[in-house]
Amino acid sequence: MSERIDRLVRTWIASEQEQEIHDAASEISQGKATLLDLVKSLGEYLTSEEDDLRTKGVEFLSLVLAQCPPERLNRQAVRVLVSFYCGKLEDTETIIPALKGLVTLTKLPAFTSPDAVEVVKAIFAHVKMKVLVQSQRFMVFSIIDNLVARYREALKDMSDEFIRGYISLAEGEKDPRNLLLAFAIDRVLLIEFDVQKHIEKDTLETLDICLPVYGPAIARESARKLWNCLKLEIFQPTDNVTQEKALKTTQILIQTIYSASEAERNDSAEIEGLAKEACEECIQILREPEKSQAQHAIKVLCAFMSTTPSVARYTLARALPHLVKLFLDPDELPNRAPTLRLLADLIEAARISTAKDSEFLPEDGNVPLSPYKDEVLGVLTVGLKAPVSALPAIDGLKSMMLTTGLLSDEELGFIVHNVNEILQKDEDESEITDAVLELLSTVSSFAPGHVSGNTLPLLFTSLPDHAPPREAEAERIRYWRTLAYLKKLCTQPDLFETLVVRLSTKLDLVCVPSASVGDSAPVDLEPSAAYAHSLLKTIADVLSAKIDVGHKDVTKYIDRLVPRLYNLFIYSALLAEERPVVATDARLLAVAAQIITLITQTLTAGRQEAFVKALFAAYLEAQVSQLAEGIQKVAADKKFAPLEVAVPVPDETAFLNRLLEWTVTHAENALQREAVVHTISAVVNRHAENLESFLSTNVTQFWNSQISDASVFADARRNAIATVTWLSKALLLRSHPGAMTNVERLFELFDDDSVSWDAARAVGRIPGPDKVLTKRNHAVIKILYAQKYCNVVLPRIIEGAKSSQSARQNAFLVALAALIKSVPKSTYAHQMSSLLPLLLRGLDLPDNEIRASVIDTLQAAATSSGKEENNSLLAEHTSSLVSTMLKNSLASNMPSVRVRVSALRFLGTLPDVIRYDVLHPQKATVIRELGKALDDPKKAVRKEAVEARTKWFKFTG
Amino acid sequence: MSSEIFNPNPTIFAPTKSNKAAHAYAKPHSLWLDDGEHTEDEEYEQSDEPESIDQDEIFELIRSISDPEHRSMTLEQLAVVSAPQITFDPRHRDRITVEFTPTVPHCGMSTFIGLSIRVRLLRSLPQRFKVDIRVKPGSHQSEHSLNKQLNDKERVAAALENPALLEVLEQCLSSAGHPDHDH
Repeated sequence: MSERIDRLVRTWIASEQEQEIHDAASEISQGKATLLDLVKSLGEYLTSEEDDLRTKGVEFLSLVLAQCPPERLNRQAVRVLVSFYCGKLEDTETIIPALKGLVTLTKLPAFTSPDAVEVVKAIFAHVKMKVLVQSQRFMVFSIIDNLVARYREALKDMSDEFIRGYISLAEGEKDPRNLLLAFAIDRVLLIEFDVQKHIEKDTLETLDICLPVYGPAIARESARKLWNCLKLEIFQPTDNVTQEKALKTTQILIQTIYSASEAERNDSAEIEGLAKEACEECIQILREPEKSQAQHAIKVLCAFMSTTPSVARYTLARALPHLVKLFLDPDELPNRAPTLRLLADLIEAARISTAKDSEFLPEDGNVPLSPYKDEVLGVLTVGLKAPVSALPAIDGLKSMMLTTGLLSDEELGFIVHNVNEILQKDEDESEITDAVLELLSTVSSFAPGHVSGNTLPLLFTSLPDHAPPREAEAERIRYWRTLAYLKKLCTQPDLFETLVVRLSTKLDLVCVPSASVGDSAPVDLEPSAAYAHSLLKTIADVLSAKIDVGHKDVTKYIDRLVPRLYNLFIYSALLAEERPVVATDARLLAVAAQIITLITQTLTAGRQEAFVKALFAAYLEAQVSQLAEGIQKVAADKKFAPLEVAVPVPDETAFLNRLLEWTVTHAENALQREAVVHTISAVVNRHAENLESFLSTNVTQFWNSQISDASVFADARRNAIATVTWLSKALLLRSHPGAMTNVERLFELFDDDSVSWDAARAVGRIPGPDKVLTKRNHAVIKILYAQKYCNVVLPRIIEGAKSSQSARQNAFLVALAALIKSVPKSTYAHQMSSLLPLLLRGLDLPDNEIRASVIDTLQAAATSSGKEENNSLLAEHTSSLVSTMLKNSLASNMPSVRVRVSALRFLGTLPDVIRYDVLHPQKATVIRELGKALDDPKKAVRKEAVEARTKWFKFTG
Repeated sequence: MSSEIFNPNPTIFAPTKSNKAAHAYAKPHSLWLDDGEHTEDEEYEQSDEPESIDQDEIFELIRSISDPEHRSMTLEQLAVVSAPQITFDPRHRDRITVEFTPTVPHCGMSTFIGLSIRVRLLRSLPQRFKVDIRVKPGSHQSEHSLNKQLNDKERVAAALENPALLEVLEQCLSSAGHPDHDH
């Protein structure tokens, strides 16, 4: 029989006619010959030196194989053919026909698992996808698909080898026909194989790019299939990222299918095909809005909003009425909140679709949402009334308000009116109020009139004219709440102006009650002072927020607010000589000063100069008329002279020296002393170049008489050290050498038991940040001043902490703890290896503040970048770290909550940063000891203990 | 673990906000508004009064455990657990009962859910607490045996010996304590 086969082979090689293939296949199917006979007949071609003949030989075999009935191929034949074809994959000339053969072969019943593994390995080893054309790559995917479908377990056993091989095959595939197949394979791999998820995401990304290229025809053709795959990713997501990518791909698919036809068709034409079907599917699911699938369905519909205008319109036309009907259905009453959530999501998607693409921006009034505006508004305002559905209702309303061209001015007013009701009746502070305030500030950014006309009057009316008495806690909380609302709402310039007017009027009433009330004035002034403080604090907070966002209107309050404040406080200060008044409370002064500072920061140099002039006139010459202006009449017969001594301004050195003396001789309290010290520091920082004699002679004198003289009271010495700290800070910022002179002096005090720790803290605090000498306050600041300071001071501290005797050593440790707290990590990070042993010693110092800041430093070191190095460092000290931290985390040993919290937090970090083999020996102890911390009397501590203990439980090799 | 799905499309409930953040100003016993100048220290040290463990604190511990069937959702979102279902024995403050509600009466995951609550509380509550975990009466077809199983120390210990089960358990617990964590 083989002669006939021989002949057929020869004829086909010459003619390549279909007939010979058919004949050969029928010889085999009738049992007159076997495939192995065919292989034998092909022998000379299969091994021919001529490339062309080899190709043809293998080609013929594969073509015949494809037509042979499967039952004619026994196990042995398949076995032979598998190794034959796998061998042919190595030869570039026969690889294509060999793939063809394998496509058939891998479907045969006699094909087995070991064959599958062999084929896969051969393909991974020899097939280069990049040199193949689409149809050939398609064969590769078909082979893999056959194998994955039938020999999954065998491939799973290959585990990583298979996944990696497959990824490199599928990588870069862009043809949608191939991708469809790849996608089906991916799906199986993702579900059944242990894979990193990015394979599929790659496929989705590729689809995103190539769908538009292949155009609507191909997209439409495979739309159903693609959607079925995408649907799985969306409705049974493996993770969020893949779901988002699948949604994106769905969007592109819809865009590709519909954007071309969009142009030719008028808008009213009915949407057909995928968009319609998918939309219907989603609406079906949305019939149960409270279920988890509904959340996925709405995502699909939201994605449709940003595809093409007609699809978006269609989606809205189907989904919006459905949701509205659902909301109004009495049977669905319990599901109103989830229904509104879905509705709000859709409105927001509709808004985004018109906002981001200006091409979509319709002419006036023709917003996609417009036709449904009234019913949607109606449903949302009903939802607003019930606390459970208020949040989604507010979100929906906010998205509507932000949709360009959707709502009229009256409708905005209607919304504001409705949400005001919530603010008024909502007695309980809740996230609903937060959302309402958020919505109102959104309105005030583009239509402030509604808020200033409706909301603000309501709030101002609810603020009392006089402070509620001490025991009226509920009333106090109510005004605090109102002020908190105002604080959130009033950053917009118009609204802020109203706020300032209304609150400063209140302030006058509270601080200086009118005569009739004044007679029966309560003896207890503190509630009034506290109320006034709250009013001022509100203004200060809003001002600060405005400055952060760069509002220009802040400047004008130098004329509108500052004189009123000075007037009130100067008036009160003078009046206080006769009887107790409200506005002399130090806390009020502090917050008023904060307001004035915030405003003056923003002024031009010229305006500042004028202000300073008025200020000096008032403070030094008792000429208050330039500075203060307001309804209270400052008594003419009393002199405003806060400093009580003559201060010569023209001579700066004398001026500063007098102030310096004043801090010692006249200051009555810390607030006054600080205020003057801040003034001195500010001047020194700005004018050091003209102050050499002050800095050398006067400061030295001050040092000798107030600090180094051990006979001075310790408290006075401490105050003086604080003054010098500020002076040094002012000098250090501008890299003036005087700073280091003072530091040297401070080091000398480390032996002086009564002030050594104060001096040590001062050394650490000098480079620390503060609120006075800042860029905003126009301080002179040289770059890297902290770095330079550390470069000099750190080595001395390390040296001192190591070598000197113990009391002195401790002072160095205190200095170290203070220093690392006040400088950026980068300034000491490189020294960590020598610092760590010292820090551990610092944890034994009997000072909770020091311990807390040391733990914070260790925490920062453990979690910072440059981790490897630090962590091997921490690893060296593991056992002492663990035992010290455990000691510091139990209430029985450590009274400070702050330290306990920090220590627990640090313990919780250790498993993340230290290798298992190093840390593991501590595990049992830590878990046992942390069990005790779970019973801490303080909630904040227990929370950290739970967190840390959970970490250690999960800590396994 | 069985791959059968007991409830493919469960109802979702909006979570309550994590212990209603008391506003800075809502400080009892103070006339003065907090001026934001306090250091962390002062904030912590404000009062020495002990704060005992309450219902909310225990709920906080278990609300964010992931559902074993729908890992992207928490037990709270599916209303499997809720604060009112945590009760203290009025005579012994150390004895608490935690009740949970399976989403469907035939839910085969109920034992597992109970176990995950048990383990979370074992790790997070002081030893003195005795915790009784039970399904809501009438919410599960084999309520009795479930309750028995969940409160049998030996059976719980035996279950935790199973490495495969422990692995899934750790996964479900990994979201606990992070209510704001987005899955």
